[in-house]
Amino acid sequence: MKKWMILVLMCSIFLIGFSTTAFADDKKLKAGFIYVGPVGDYGFSHAHDMGRQYAEKKFPWLETIFVESVADADCARIIDRLVQQQKCDVVFTTSFGFMDETIKAGTRYPDKLFMHCSGFKRSDNVGTYFGDLYQMYYLNGIMAGALTKTNKIGYVAAFPIPELVRHIDAYALGIKAANPAAKLNVKWIYAWYGPDKAKEAAEALIAEGCDALAFTEDTPAVIEVGQRHSEKGKQIYTFSHYSPMQPYGVDSVVSGQLMNWGGMYTKILGDIYNKTWTNEDLWWLAKEKAAILGGSPTDIINPKFVGALKKAMLDTKEFGKISAYDLVVKRYAQMKQGVDVFEPFTGPISDNKGTLKIKAGETASKGDLLSIMYYVDNVEGDVPQ
Amino acid sequence: MEDIIVLTLHRAMVAGTPLLLATTGEVICERSGILNLGVEGVMAMGAVVAFIVTMTTGQPWLGVLAATATGIAFSSIHAFASVTLQANQVVSGLALTMLGLGLSGMLGKPYVGKPLSIKMEDWSIPWLSDIPWLGKILFTQGPFFYLAIVLAFAAWFFLERTRLGIQIRSTGENPKAAETQGVNVFRLRYLSVLIGGGFSALAGAHLSISYSKSWIEGMTAGRGWIAIALTIFALWNPGRAIWAAFLFGGFFVVQYLLQPLGISPSFLAMLPYIATLFILLLISLKDPRKLNAPAMLAEPYKRGER
Repeated sequence: MKKWMILVLMCSIFLIGFSTTAFADDKKLKAGFIYVGPVGDYGFSHAHDMGRQYAEKKFPWLETIFVESVADADCARIIDRLVQQQKCDVVFTTSFGFMDETIKAGTRYPDKLFMHCSGFKRSDNVGTYFGDLYQMYYLNGIMAGALTKTNKIGYVAAFPIPELVRHIDAYALGIKAANPAAKLNVKWIYAWYGPDKAKEAAEALIAEGCDALAFTEDTPAVIEVGQRHSEKGKQIYTFSHYSPMQPYGVDSVVSGQLMNWGGMYTKILGDIYNKTWTNEDLWWLAKEKAAILGGSPTDIINPKFVGALKKAMLDTKEFGKISAYDLVVKRYAQMKQGVDVFEPFTGPISDNKGTLKIKAGETASKGDLLSIMYYVDNVEGDVPQ
Repeated sequence: MEDIIVLTLHRAMVAGTPLLLATTGEVICERSGILNLGVEGVMAMGAVVAFIVTMTTGQPWLGVLAATATGIAFSSIHAFASVTLQANQVVSGLALTMLGLGLSGMLGKPYVGKPLSIKMEDWSIPWLSDIPWLGKILFTQGPFFYLAIVLAFAAWFFLERTRLGIQIRSTGENPKAAETQGVNVFRLRYLSVLIGGGFSALAGAHLSISYSKSWIEGMTAGRGWIAIALTIFALWNPGRAIWAAFLFGGFFVVQYLLQPLGISPSFLAMLPYIATLFILLLISLKDPRKLNAPAMLAEPYKRGER
């Protein structure tokens, strides 16, 4: 009799326990984020973390957890930990190098969802997403081309992968639109996060005579170099990257690009919560308000340089004689309408070896852009192998 | 062309400054017989403390002072482990590096992404800064550059020419003999480790409040390890450390100028370590006695033991 009672009791406890967890499953969603750098980098990982916090604030049913500074080789282990110990329902892996491990994790945990940022491999429960800034680099290029006095423009770049080459080329096309005589020089630092390397690369570019610098690296190091030279009387124009870095270079930052992951994360997590998620690739640009022009959240162009840009008159086919400032504003408005209204990669575009890559009147497809590995004709040097 | 050469050499001096500070400290420390592999961690602690203090008080030299004090206090952990407890110095040093890197990241978290509005202006030395080429390279530099050079010369004088310096060297060569001469080996080894820590923290302060004027986790980026390599490269001599540090600073700077020639940056990043191995090899082959390494380096000293 006693044994029977205990059995009933245990069963009921088990059932109650089970039903509450089932209830909680309906109510809550737990998302894990894996970052390649420290959240304090003030660049890529920082921007992702701002997006995570934005989503967590917006959705009361959302719980998030993040792991920072994860090396490519550790990715699988961290995914296992997030799924098994932290009981995450969805894991975001936010670096290109995490791609294969994310796909493998998808097969290992078929009942969980995975979102990989910047990759191209998908499966039933692994989706991809990315916000790209190449349009903003084009606009920065217009400004750099209009402002440069030496006709030598620089770019401090992280790794030779299509994303970076796309940004360099878009920047070069913008420069060409404003100043066909200017040339773009690129220095590779082989680090996403290397303030000292970025700093010395920027100094080397300035020593070679460049006076306008854009970059892809996750710290404001290049801006600090530009600011220091500008204070000493040698005006160097810089373009902020990913986070609002204008406070680091009030006399140097002209504009830049900001990434807003918040909108994207709320869409993805909302879809998952409402069970409307699919593994379709999300590639967000200016139209989706993922890519934003500016070095600060308030101005698209530093007020200090607005006057100079309004005075710089350019000849364009589409708008006739127009100031660099107006051209940037017009192109930005077009980009917000969509890539069918204006696409920077519109032919004729040749690489710097003289081969025609995009024919006149054609625009680059998304596939072309995602695999681009050549410099356009006003960039010096070769893409490293 | 002149522009490129002058600017590059100027940058080599700036990049070599933290290396020189940390190396000078490590030379003093190792000359007393204590190997301190914690340079990287102490440097990171110095960087974060200097940044926080400078940010909150607006006084960069107060930041430098606080960083030096932190470096001394922080390296006392290593001194306690390696001198008092006679523990394995490699393990204790590595622990100090890990602790310093982690702790600095944690302390500095609220300060990431905040620019420092305090500026450390370059000092132009009157007369000397007007010399063509050299004036711009050597005599228009930040205060840390002059400080590093002065301290390196002072350290050389201290180690080679003063009574205390000779006693420190003797504890690194033969602590038992030193002790019989009435030298307090424990006290001198403590002193050397603490001085070394102060120097490392000074190098960190240079990085955060002068070199980059911002705090970012992991900003020391392996400079502590280069300083340890440099200590060997300079054959434990602070005077030799001066040109060696600026040579290594030059390796760091020149890789971006050489890039268009197709020289791999990974190769140039390796150069400091290869150069160290090469020097060791060269001297060992020619005359090992010239190596000058403290005989009892990394050997714990136990009083009264045979």
